[in-house]
Amino acid sequence: MSEPIDNIAPEATPEEINASCRWPVMFLFFSAALWLVKAAIIGVMGSVKLHMPEFLSDISFLTYGHLQANAWVAFLFGFGGNAGLGLTLWMLSRLRGAPLARPGFVIAGTVLWNVGVTAALVGITLGDQNGVAGLELPVYAGRVLLIGQAFIAFSAILTYFSRRHKQLYPSTWYLIGALVALPWIVGTAHWLLAAAPVRGAAQIPVGHWATTSLLQVWLGCLGLAAVLYFIPKIIGRELFSRQWAAFGFWMLLLLGGWVNLNSGSPLPVWQIKLSQFANGLFIFVVIAVGWNLRQTARGVPLLGSENLTLKFMGFALGAWVVSGLFTFCNVFPEWNAILQFTYANTALRHLFAWGFFAMAMLGGIYYVAPRLLGSDLDWPCGRTVRWVYRLIAVGVIIITLAGVGMAWGHGQALQQIGVDAMTLQTKAINPMRIAFLGEILFMVSSFIFLGSLLCLLSRNCCGELSPMALWRQIREAKMEGKTEGGAQ
Amino acid sequence: MNKAPWIFLGVLFTLSLSWWGMVYGPASQLAGQSADKGDGTAVLPRVGLAKQGEQVYRENGCYYCHTRTATGGEFGYELRLSQLGGDREVTDEVLGENITVENTRLIDLAFEFKYVVAAKKTLDDANKALADAKEKTPELEDAVAVAEKSLKNSAVSFKEVISNVTEKTTDQNEKDTILFRAYGLSGVEIKDKALMIQLGMGEQIIDEHRKIANEAIIKLTHGKAQWGDIEDMVRGLKTRAGAQFKLQPVVIDWPDVQNGVALRQSVTRDFMHDTHAMPGVMQLGPNLANAGGTPALADSNQFYVHLYQPRLINEKSAMPPYRYLFRKIKVNAGETSPKNALKIKGKDLVAGYAIIPTEKAEALFEFLKSLRTDALPEAPIVDNPKPADDQ
Repeated sequence: MSEPIDNIAPEATPEEINASCRWPVMFLFFSAALWLVKAAIIGVMGSVKLHMPEFLSDISFLTYGHLQANAWVAFLFGFGGNAGLGLTLWMLSRLRGAPLARPGFVIAGTVLWNVGVTAALVGITLGDQNGVAGLELPVYAGRVLLIGQAFIAFSAILTYFSRRHKQLYPSTWYLIGALVALPWIVGTAHWLLAAAPVRGAAQIPVGHWATTSLLQVWLGCLGLAAVLYFIPKIIGRELFSRQWAAFGFWMLLLLGGWVNLNSGSPLPVWQIKLSQFANGLFIFVVIAVGWNLRQTARGVPLLGSENLTLKFMGFALGAWVVSGLFTFCNVFPEWNAILQFTYANTALRHLFAWGFFAMAMLGGIYYVAPRLLGSDLDWPCGRTVRWVYRLIAVGVIIITLAGVGMAWGHGQALQQIGVDAMTLQTKAINPMRIAFLGEILFMVSSFIFLGSLLCLLSRNCCGELSPMALWRQIREAKMEGKTEGGAQ
Repeated sequence: MNKAPWIFLGVLFTLSLSWWGMVYGPASQLAGQSADKGDGTAVLPRVGLAKQGEQVYRENGCYYCHTRTATGGEFGYELRLSQLGGDREVTDEVLGENITVENTRLIDLAFEFKYVVAAKKTLDDANKALADAKEKTPELEDAVAVAEKSLKNSAVSFKEVISNVTEKTTDQNEKDTILFRAYGLSGVEIKDKALMIQLGMGEQIIDEHRKIANEAIIKLTHGKAQWGDIEDMVRGLKTRAGAQFKLQPVVIDWPDVQNGVALRQSVTRDFMHDTHAMPGVMQLGPNLANAGGTPALADSNQFYVHLYQPRLINEKSAMPPYRYLFRKIKVNAGETSPKNALKIKGKDLVAGYAIIPTEKAEALFEFLKSLRTDALPEAPIVDNPKPADDQ
């Protein structure tokens, strides 16, 4: 039964909502930008070791394994958690038409969350990782993260229920999905992989479920919520179909935890077959989401748009679709058998993490951050943020092409008989060496983004006394001096 | 889809499906897995240094560059008959056309062994009955006579068959091999010295001949037969002919086995006692599924030198050095370095210093040595014949 219209609280204005979100969400965004830089630097340091094995080799906590684990945790929980939760709170407030409830809880939760991520990085550095590649949270870090998320989720829940609304926009479904999925996944991993580990081989499917769910379900829900929100909003159209959106949402939740299990995993055959089946069905998720947004934005060139947020979202959508198609390809065991122990899996994770998720989050932050700080404020150097988009896009393309294309050669060599160890090593490392270029681009882009965010904050705090404004004044003064000198 | 509680419940339900399939299902299935191999032995947990080594492997993130997963491949079956059943006709019917002339003759001879032993047993029973009887009746004496005749006929038949079987060879060793292979395949045991001499086995079976008998098999299929091809024969041999046999998997196209990475496919029980199961991310370095069974770990010094400075072993190695797993001790002139100091070409690795592996390095070595793909009932070792063996 629909609610009587009288029971619906008046909708808050965007200004009121932005004001309520300002500091908690900006805290999350700034933390995200910092973690993104850290993740990119650590990732590059790890990759350097492939070029120069002697690089920092006498330091026990800077092995390739340590650095890879730290880079991913910094990205996933540091950047992903902060950016995702920040956009969740803002989008939820806007979609419900209500100011953010209990912002103090968000700030406390953000502090706890960042303490948790820091603890995870310190723990991994000290060798406390749990050995599950892709989710190497030490036991103590997982607890802090869960408590931090609970604080932030509390605020989100109160915001949701603070105003009744006739209809939930599909992005809200995804946001609810992400809020529920994270504690479940991290809790399961904490309980069954760290606190009271399940027996031996059972850790393999549990670890796979947790890592793939975090990627496909948690990051997937957060990223798609942003894409579904911003594309129709910016182009000023209604979403093509709520039915398609609902189908894509439920299928993603249903299949996200099953997909991409390696065909050569030492597990009972039924699990591998079920995962292959799920890979096959994943094409429906890709079609449902991709077709819906394609129809929504029909005739609008997303990547060719002048609107940078739209460009970010367009690339994110494209990367998600390509990533989904690669997931679908795992329905063929022959395909997976070749790529399963190569760099391809890491490359595809980069495609998903940077190409889809980071692009969606950065696009969202690009749109939201100036609005949080003031309606008359814009990014101080709008063009620099365009470079963030360009560099990540090029990096993702390089890594995906090198990672999948060249790793295919490595995978085939592993399937051949009598290939010597040095040839195998060369074939394994070559895609990673090319991908290194992409990682450098990620690092540069993360620095630019952090710098831009700092400039935006300083403009907000200091106005004409901000570093950028001062720099502009000095430059203008110099130009005037030159002009006067030339005139004389 | 306009009520958050319903969406919340829906999310819980859909997530619980994959949770059930990928978390609860495997955890409950594998929790009850037995360590028993079925032959009186068990898959043993690691102890001592090897157990500590698993933690060193984890701490250093070795699983990013090394996998411990040997994948499956294409194989065929070699059906190895090791003991014949009692019924010749059924055996012939089950084996059908799948047997060579040479093996048919060997089976003929094996059955002759069975007939002789059966006749001998009949005679022994008849003699015993006669000896135990209070009164020697003509029936008993006839029975003995018939049994004696039967044994004599069996011995004659045996000699005819063996002369047929060995007609093409003059080498006594070859003849003995055929004789004792047939003896082994027959599954009978002859203890009567007179009979043994009569059958050409000698007064006592020497070790060499006993070995031939014990290892005697007939390969009924080559290693490319698929289960569908041999299913009927296997069932017939087991249920009707009562024969003993082994189904040996043989490589057809199995890169991990043919490249010496492992002896079989990795299975769940390879990880059952692991504190942290680490199947591996990438094969940047060698696959360690059967590291303990490879020559690379036969020499601990060689392994430690590789760990200390991989480029001393292979100048193009991409593996970083793990020098922090070693201690460097100054060795003064006239002093000798400790026994466990790393050596290369008989000399200290670094002149004037002894490089000593720490306990972590030793633990890592023991852990890697514990990684083996020994036979398990669910994953038998796969035969990998050399190309010459195929021909």
